[in-house]
Amino acid sequence: MRIRDAERLSRAISTLGNGSSLDRLVDRVYDLTDGSLALDRATLHRIARGKTQIARAIDSPEECIRLYFALMIVGCEEDLAVTTIVEEGRAILAAFIGAPLADLIFRDLERTLPKLRDRATLREYLEEGLRVWLPS
Amino acid sequence: MAAELKLRGESHTLLSQEARLREHLEQDLGVRVRFSPFDDVRALLVSPQRDAAAKSLVVASDASAAERIYLYVHVAAHMALGHHLPLVTIVEGAPGLSHLADDAHSHGAAEKLARAMWWENEGGLGAPPRVQRSVVLRGLVSRAPTRSALHGILLALRAAYYDLRIQRALEGSRLASWLRDALCVTAVVSAAPQLSD
Repeated sequence: MRIRDAERLSRAISTLGNGSSLDRLVDRVYDLTDGSLALDRATLHRIARGKTQIARAIDSPEECIRLYFALMIVGCEEDLAVTTIVEEGRAILAAFIGAPLADLIFRDLERTLPKLRDRATLREYLEEGLRVWLPS
Repeated sequence: MAAELKLRGESHTLLSQEARLREHLEQDLGVRVRFSPFDDVRALLVSPQRDAAAKSLVVASDASAAERIYLYVHVAAHMALGHHLPLVTIVEGAPGLSHLADDAHSHGAAEKLARAMWWENEGGLGAPPRVQRSVVLRGLVSRAPTRSALHGILLALRAAYYDLRIQRALEGSRLASWLRDALCVTAVVSAAPQLSD
């Protein structure tokens, strides 16, 4: 996938990871997505450093969405504020995909998030959101 | 002891109805149900882009069996109306929460359909068939004072059924079955008065 705003994406990954090592992030994303994202350390390193405009390891909108949900879950695990998690998650999705699919997801996010006031509920929403995007 | 407390807290009929409806959701409507502690949210239905794909319903772990039954019927009504597609998360909150009130219109439509499904739908998501067509019962549960009185009486009868050891004499009788189902319906409508007329 082509990355639209590499610098913003880099900042979002760094914020959601909250200082975690890239190795840990890669492992967590792998676990959370049931191994369905072939995101290796080198690729994440390039993305997280804002050094690439193309992420070949993430080659479909569905994979972007899985990464988006997984990184937001990491943000929940890092006890970040709900607003920060949401803002950075949006930045990730917007950096990767545009068009109808992202619009649908954003629209759902806009409607749903004001109703989810605490991090635990947000996390449930994210975990289930991720689950429905896992390959069957 | 804990098992006994649970038995007294939630009737077997309610629990088996809840399990039946959950199974219907999972097997016939493709909704995986799980439970989680929530604060002000009672249930979340997370849906994919297409109805054929699996959906997830997360229900507050402190919801009673009666409330869970109501939530299953209500969520199924939302799905029948197509409110969950494409990619729409349905959030069910405790009544009266202003930040959860913005889809009042769609919730209102789902309430109407849920009521019809509960009282008219045979099997699936309907109330236990033995009492579903009872005009008397439906009338009694439709108003708060009679519903509350009936609930109290049925709970007292249930307590007597166990405490006075008449269980063996009445077990398997139509009367006991009817009363068990009536208690189930009354408990569900007490937890969700929206289901009454």
